[in-house]
Amino acid sequence: MTQSIILACGNPLRGDDGAALRVVCGLQEGYTDPETEICCAQQWTPDLAESISKSQLAIFVDASAAIPPGAIRLVALSGRCEPPGLTTHSLSPERLLGLSLELFQKVPERAFLLTIGGASFEHGDQLSDSVQKAVPAACNQLKALLSGVTLPDSPQF
Amino acid sequence: MGKTITIDPVTRIEGHSRIMLQVDDSGEVSSAHFQTTQFRGFEKFCEGRPFYEMPYLMERICGICPVSHLLASAKACDALMALKVPPAAGKLRRILDLAQLIQSHALSFFYLSSPDLILGMDADPKDRNLFGVMRKQPELGHWGIRLRKFGQQTIETLAGKRIHPGWVVPGGVNEPLSVEKRDHLLAQIPEMIDIAQKCLSWFKRELETFREEIRTFANFPSLFMGLVTVDERAGYYQGKIRFTDSLGNIVADNLEPEDYQDFLGEAVEPFTFMKFPYYKALGYPDGMYRVGPLARLNLVDNCGTPLAQQEWVEFRALERNAVLSSFYYHYARLIEILFALEHILEYLLDPIITERQAKYSASLNNLEGVGCCEAPRGTLIHHYRVDEQGLITWANLIIATGHNNLAMNRGILQAAKHFVRSDKLSEGMLNRVEAVIRAFDPCLSCSTHADGHLKLQVQLLAPDGRLLDEIRR
Repeated sequence: MTQSIILACGNPLRGDDGAALRVVCGLQEGYTDPETEICCAQQWTPDLAESISKSQLAIFVDASAAIPPGAIRLVALSGRCEPPGLTTHSLSPERLLGLSLELFQKVPERAFLLTIGGASFEHGDQLSDSVQKAVPAACNQLKALLSGVTLPDSPQF
Repeated sequence: MGKTITIDPVTRIEGHSRIMLQVDDSGEVSSAHFQTTQFRGFEKFCEGRPFYEMPYLMERICGICPVSHLLASAKACDALMALKVPPAAGKLRRILDLAQLIQSHALSFFYLSSPDLILGMDADPKDRNLFGVMRKQPELGHWGIRLRKFGQQTIETLAGKRIHPGWVVPGGVNEPLSVEKRDHLLAQIPEMIDIAQKCLSWFKRELETFREEIRTFANFPSLFMGLVTVDERAGYYQGKIRFTDSLGNIVADNLEPEDYQDFLGEAVEPFTFMKFPYYKALGYPDGMYRVGPLARLNLVDNCGTPLAQQEWVEFRALERNAVLSSFYYHYARLIEILFALEHILEYLLDPIITERQAKYSASLNNLEGVGCCEAPRGTLIHHYRVDEQGLITWANLIIATGHNNLAMNRGILQAAKHFVRSDKLSEGMLNRVEAVIRAFDPCLSCSTHADGHLKLQVQLLAPDGRLLDEIRR
């Protein structure tokens, strides 16, 4: 069984939308754990539900325009399963957890959504300065979660 | 007085479209048009780019079948460089192609069409989706997710990314396959073959309940077209083009894909951005033909792998000659999944597959190149011309879905005439018309390349939403 799964979402060609992928790249530098599965995608799709159901820890990583640029927000998702809804093109973390529960009768014991606030989502493969600076801190939070540290939910922005 | 019934959007397909049904004074459907309402324009905006960029530009046409565009484009670039790729690279490209076929067919069958098949054409649209299927028949949902995941993971294992990978390059592939990765893939195949066989068994039992749909879903004589190998199998990555008719006769054979302009014409209609390819010898629109899974199974004399061969024999026994109903595209898709799994197994067991030589280099040696392969939905052709600096001067794409355009339009008319009663419309009636389109599994974002005829409206909006300028044509 995979112990942990990291699901990074974003488009590396749309500026800060690729922040999650950069965080995961940062994690992979000098960090190897055969029991951690890393999945990078432009959208979260239903076929990820099986891998999620087999994990004890799931960490979703994404960029957001809804929080200040460079801010990092961590939210515990345990128990926050939602019905999958209508679309199969893209699912939220809560809906993927719901699908995992519905289809495989299992969800990870711990699940988190780590969000990095983005400044620009225009065409380009560069992160903005504020997001670039936030990447190491987000990477450290990921490492802490993987090592079993319990982090409090971030305050709402 | 007649009226128009509009189905907008057509749901559970890839891309954006609508269906317009014209009803005459007597309440009968008199015409049907499948309209593709989006426009991409890749053929135009790649002009001026270096040819070696083309595979990575062209794969961006689609998020479902980028691998097909990557392969057809890389093959066109191979032709520009006048080289053959190393043997291992040829097989690795073939595995990538088949892996994509598995994930794309699984998406079409389980995610998009199984709601109609499991829950019924008349089911409440709220429930008529993949998740409704999972609630009613969880095992089928498992199968779909597992097969799609296997296809996606195989692409990722080989090419580094599930969507828009850059591994296939002009001249071969960027990195050979390691023994560890090969073994990882090999270990999963027996379970996938088991799932594919279970799916086929289930679907064959269900077929009897769809007699009316089988009879009316684009069920008419037409030509079929696709790539065929020298040993008479469907040629997914390579082959020569064959046309057969509805009696199973070979109409044309051993046609070189690079000569496609000799035997394929492309018509344009004012109601859609999708072109209408046709077989030139029969003219437009009589030269209608079908491509994709149904066509591929109709074109060949054998399937080529043991388990798929058994299924193919049973499939071809459905009708005395060619299998004509487009409802059977679903059935053909499942057989092709099984075939692809067996074929990937064959390739992975070939010792050549882990050879280190995976790429050859060359500079520009031709000013024109054509690349052709079978995408999940049918034959895909990329044709480029370059100047002496290797910059693209002209590009033409003939996309799988486009080949089926004439048949799709005729198919919705057939189904609408049978199911739609204009005095008492029901959602189930209209869903059956949509389901004809779903059977073809069109990928509209891939196939919308016609230009110059459909009315076009371009609006320039300010950041605050104010209309700054507008052009209508």
